[in-house]
Amino acid sequence: MSRFLFPRWTNNLLPFILVTGAIMPLYAVLVVAYGFSPKTIDAGYMPTQPVPYSHATHVGKLGLDCRYCHTTVERTSFAAVPPTQTCMNCHTQIHRESPKLAEVRSSYETGLPIEWVKVHKLPDYSYFNHAAHVNRGVSCVECHGRVDQMEVVYRHSPLAMGWCLECHRDPIDRLRPVSQITNLAWDQRIEMTREEREALATQYHINPSENCSTCHR
Amino acid sequence: MKKTYWRSVDDLTGSPEFRDWMHREFPDGASEHVPADDRRTFLKVMGASFALAGLGIAGCRRWPETKIVPAASQPANRIPGVPVTYCSAWDFAGFGQPLLVKSYDGRPIKLDTNPAHPWGGAGISAVAQAQVLSLYDPERSRQVLSKGIGSSYEPFATFLANTSRELKQKGGQGLAVLCGAASGPTHAATMARVRAAFPKATVVEWESLGRDNAIVGTEAAFSAPMRMLPLFDKAKVIVSLGDDFLYGSPDAPQWAKRWAVGRSIDAADPKAQEVARLYVVEQGLTSTGMCADERIATRLAFMHVAASIIAEAVGVGSDSAELRAALSAANSSAAASALREGRGQKVFDALIADLKANRGRSVVTAGATACEATHALVAAINRALGNEGSTVMLLAEMQTASMPAMQALCKSMQAGEVDTLFILGVNPVYAAPADCDFAGALKKVARVVHLGLHADETARHSAITWHIPQAHFLECWSDTRSFDGTIAVQQPLILPMLGQGQGGRSVDELLAELLGDGPTDGESLVKSTHESLASANAGGPAFAEVWRKTLDRGFVEGSALPAVSTPPMRAAEIAKTLTGCAWECDSAKGVEVVFLRDLKVWDGRFGCISWMQELPDPVTKITWDNALLMSPKTADDLKLKRGQMAAVTVQGRTLEAVAWPVPGWSDGSVGISVGYGRSGEGVGLVASDAGFNANRIRTADAPDWTTATAIVPTGATYSVAHTQDHGAADAINTAVPLQGIQERLPTLVREATLDEYRTHPDFARHRTHVASRLSLWSENNLEGAQFRWAMAVDLSKCTGCSACVTACQAENNIPVVGKDMVLRGREMFWIRIDRYFKGSNAASPDGFALQPVACMHCENAPCEQVCPVAATVHDEDGLNSMVYNRCIGTRYCSNNCPYKVRRFNFFDYHRREVSREEGIAKVKPEYYIEEGPDVWLRMQFNPEVTVRMRGVMEKCTFCTQRIQAARIKAKNEWARAGGTASGQKQFSIPDGTIQTACQQACPTGAITFGDLNVADSAVAKLHRSSRSYQMLEELNTKTRLQYLARVTNPALPRESGSGYGGHGGDHGTDHSNGHSNGNTKG
Repeated sequence: MSRFLFPRWTNNLLPFILVTGAIMPLYAVLVVAYGFSPKTIDAGYMPTQPVPYSHATHVGKLGLDCRYCHTTVERTSFAAVPPTQTCMNCHTQIHRESPKLAEVRSSYETGLPIEWVKVHKLPDYSYFNHAAHVNRGVSCVECHGRVDQMEVVYRHSPLAMGWCLECHRDPIDRLRPVSQITNLAWDQRIEMTREEREALATQYHINPSENCSTCHR
Repeated sequence: MKKTYWRSVDDLTGSPEFRDWMHREFPDGASEHVPADDRRTFLKVMGASFALAGLGIAGCRRWPETKIVPAASQPANRIPGVPVTYCSAWDFAGFGQPLLVKSYDGRPIKLDTNPAHPWGGAGISAVAQAQVLSLYDPERSRQVLSKGIGSSYEPFATFLANTSRELKQKGGQGLAVLCGAASGPTHAATMARVRAAFPKATVVEWESLGRDNAIVGTEAAFSAPMRMLPLFDKAKVIVSLGDDFLYGSPDAPQWAKRWAVGRSIDAADPKAQEVARLYVVEQGLTSTGMCADERIATRLAFMHVAASIIAEAVGVGSDSAELRAALSAANSSAAASALREGRGQKVFDALIADLKANRGRSVVTAGATACEATHALVAAINRALGNEGSTVMLLAEMQTASMPAMQALCKSMQAGEVDTLFILGVNPVYAAPADCDFAGALKKVARVVHLGLHADETARHSAITWHIPQAHFLECWSDTRSFDGTIAVQQPLILPMLGQGQGGRSVDELLAELLGDGPTDGESLVKSTHESLASANAGGPAFAEVWRKTLDRGFVEGSALPAVSTPPMRAAEIAKTLTGCAWECDSAKGVEVVFLRDLKVWDGRFGCISWMQELPDPVTKITWDNALLMSPKTADDLKLKRGQMAAVTVQGRTLEAVAWPVPGWSDGSVGISVGYGRSGEGVGLVASDAGFNANRIRTADAPDWTTATAIVPTGATYSVAHTQDHGAADAINTAVPLQGIQERLPTLVREATLDEYRTHPDFARHRTHVASRLSLWSENNLEGAQFRWAMAVDLSKCTGCSACVTACQAENNIPVVGKDMVLRGREMFWIRIDRYFKGSNAASPDGFALQPVACMHCENAPCEQVCPVAATVHDEDGLNSMVYNRCIGTRYCSNNCPYKVRRFNFFDYHRREVSREEGIAKVKPEYYIEEGPDVWLRMQFNPEVTVRMRGVMEKCTFCTQRIQAARIKAKNEWARAGGTASGQKQFSIPDGTIQTACQQACPTGAITFGDLNVADSAVAKLHRSSRSYQMLEELNTKTRLQYLARVTNPALPRESGSGYGGHGGDHGTDHSNGHSNGNTKG
């Protein structure tokens, strides 16, 4: 009668199982934590743009209104990045030879557009409408932060659905009179009382929808 | 690859015959062969693409870097991302269709009708909408070919200039120009210039599916060809002799719209409700036949006899003994007896009585394929009934009979009389009838120039010297005339999508270059034509103003053709045509073969449009193929079963096609659509091998129908992908065929005759008994919502034309899945048209029922209850929303949906090439492809709607993107006006602002959408109507999509009762069963 002997390789099996069993949960936890962390939803994303356009200079220092360039924000779903023509409105006179504007000038001459890198990208299955927000008292600064202080545009808010719902469920703090929409330094939490903001909400029937079909089409 | 086991030598070698056999026979399990070599290679390929996919999404970001690319200089008044709508037009075989084209960032994405146009406002047909996809067809011809080798336009321009000079010197001797029928004045002017510059040239405007019979027939009757414009909306009685006016003609939307006026059930007092009556005498089964109140199925050869029966009875020929004699001869023929057989006599009697009682308020019309005698007689009948001037308008016919001209051209080509041939915008190598032998004749021509949208069979012919890519109608200037003569300008929405210097010319532009005297760009040509038209109207406004108006509104004011009042009728000629109608009516001679006109592909030119191949034929529900259609009795006589291949021999030529019995088809007559069966290089993936080429047995002498020498089964079978099974075994009671369906049908499609409606206007409410409306779960609380979106579908008006299906596909980025997937029932249409046959005798159905089915947006939705991840939820406005990113693909929702309207993306269909074979891995590997012609199809996508990927459920959303767009716009306007400070308490959306895509496309206006909260909105009124009912209401789904029951107007009593069907008969039995079993279902 022959005894059954475990093959030699099973000697290493038990330590292997123990080590894997210890590491796997840890790995799973790390993956999940990473997944839930802001890292994956890109607040702070600051890509390099083809032209070193500084909002801090143009908006902060010179006082350009957001809508001078982003003309469609009150009329359509997205705030259009301006065409080269808009830049050249001033830059045919100012800083005509600046090397920083070489790309802009060549675009103007050739008619080929400047390819900006999109900072505030939402997934393709969700549809955000700027006009619906801007016309009713939600300022640029609520979502985009202090763009007038950004040398290079970065993503200030996560723009995740949960973050959108925070406001949709309690919009009062984010509302301001439409006249102050592009005044990024102004803060309605200081300048207005809660009752005044609630009056705004009543005036515009601010009752943000939590229906899925509002954004998911 | 080494095989161990094999069934035959062919199997071992994997010969093409074996593969072919595997492909065609018994598809279950047969085509499991993976086209790529073997499993190992397959796994390697898939592994590699996984790896690449991982690399592609680089940078530790959730998505790759995206660019925003504004214009360098934005045109004024253009907001990027806001669609702009332009007026344009499309010439469909000589009939202009007015269009509104929605252009998104410079890409035309959707075509709709132009409501301002006199010939518009009538929805838009499926095939017209599909033209937007053909613009982006990746298989379009994109390069100039010189003797088959890629070239560019410059050398061709030189060639053309030299040829032009040479030909001008010869006065056009040896020149022939072959193009399609085009109706616009610019084309007419260009052709006139060509004829003037080249007097000895042969110029042929030819359509494979033309209207020759109508032209010759009316010419016989009136001494000049006339075009009959029926005003169906003014008629109380409509008699169609083979005319499929509701679907089978280019202007079907306009006819359907008018017909629907007579079917509107909108009388305030139901007792006073009148409905026009439609009689159809036809060979096959068509949409018009399915909507008919009374129908006779007969051979196409007998159509003129049917006309004679009617003509004699209404007093045609009262002034001509010749005509009377001819009529009575026809009416005593064997054909006449065949027509009068069975129910036929009663139907004819009723028909004639109706016509006599409604003089001046009836329309008799003949189909394009009916013989010339039929058309001549119909003209006489309308004259005798006094319809001319009230319900029928006669216009001067603009087209000419083209088949004889084509035959003459082929003959002269064969005789070597043509040395320079221009084939412009037509595909005669494929579409010309077999006896013309165009391919053979082409070989005798020295120089051939082909202008075509595709490098098709004609372009690939060895004799072609130059092939020039044609500009699509959305890429070039032209103009068109619609049926009534109104001129519309066709303006381009995008530059030709071809390489630099690769052509992109329209027919007129190429001819202008040939003429070489004057401008050659389309805009100048069209403008100069319109300038001369405008100057003819002396004292009118300046041309610039006229032009601006024309472009803005899409038509030239007052350009409709004037009615010709009472042209003299030539009874003797009609008599001659009738007696000369040589087609014998002898069934013993053989089975009639009819060449049908398929509105999905027409003569084959639209075969490359995947939407059209996948659209189920309204009658047979067949996709991706055509078939030899016949009645069940004929099938038995010919010993053919459904799906078996048959060889049809006509005058020595044979065609093999799959037999497909259709209940209601006429006996002794088979039909097959022209336009399929294309194969060979250059045809492209979509059209290749789809169906069977009927042109093989079609001759120019008999382009509409002929007699088969033999129709024999070949023994092979062919799997046909169809979306609705008729004649399926019935699970309820296999002893009685179709019993289950027949019992159920009256509750799904509720119908009644006009008499019943008058006595019981709320008959629709009594078709089911809903015992209780208790729900297992707490129902949605939709109280207090600002909007209650709902839809109403009027079954009295639905013709089954499927325009809504294609509109939805265009609007919502619905993918095409291919024949293989349709065979598995995986077609992705969000709305489908269910087509039922009524009665339990498959050989002769009692009637037909059509029902468009889309998501019902149930308030108490079964699908919402079972989604494990809440991917489908209910809106507070009543919409059932589908959130694609949450869906994990359990498919429980579609399992639970009783209407089966949910479609699942089993594969990433947008990335998959359409396949006729079963197999895997025809997917393009990279996800983010940025270049290449495949990207073109994506340009048609509507950016407002998510493009779905594999693993996600989708369904009709009531066009939520349109609802949101209207809502946001209204809200913004109200907010900018000051909100509540503006005086309006809340924003509102006027009724009719939001039109769903299906509603916008429906020619008859059968679909209505709106807000139930507005008491007098169209949809609220319809929901309150006595005819409205919910489908499967006994399930307590509380649907927001309600149907309006159909009211038919039969002249004779029906065998199965009035549509009450089983319910009326078995009423007592069902009830007692129900009660004794404790069954809560009535």
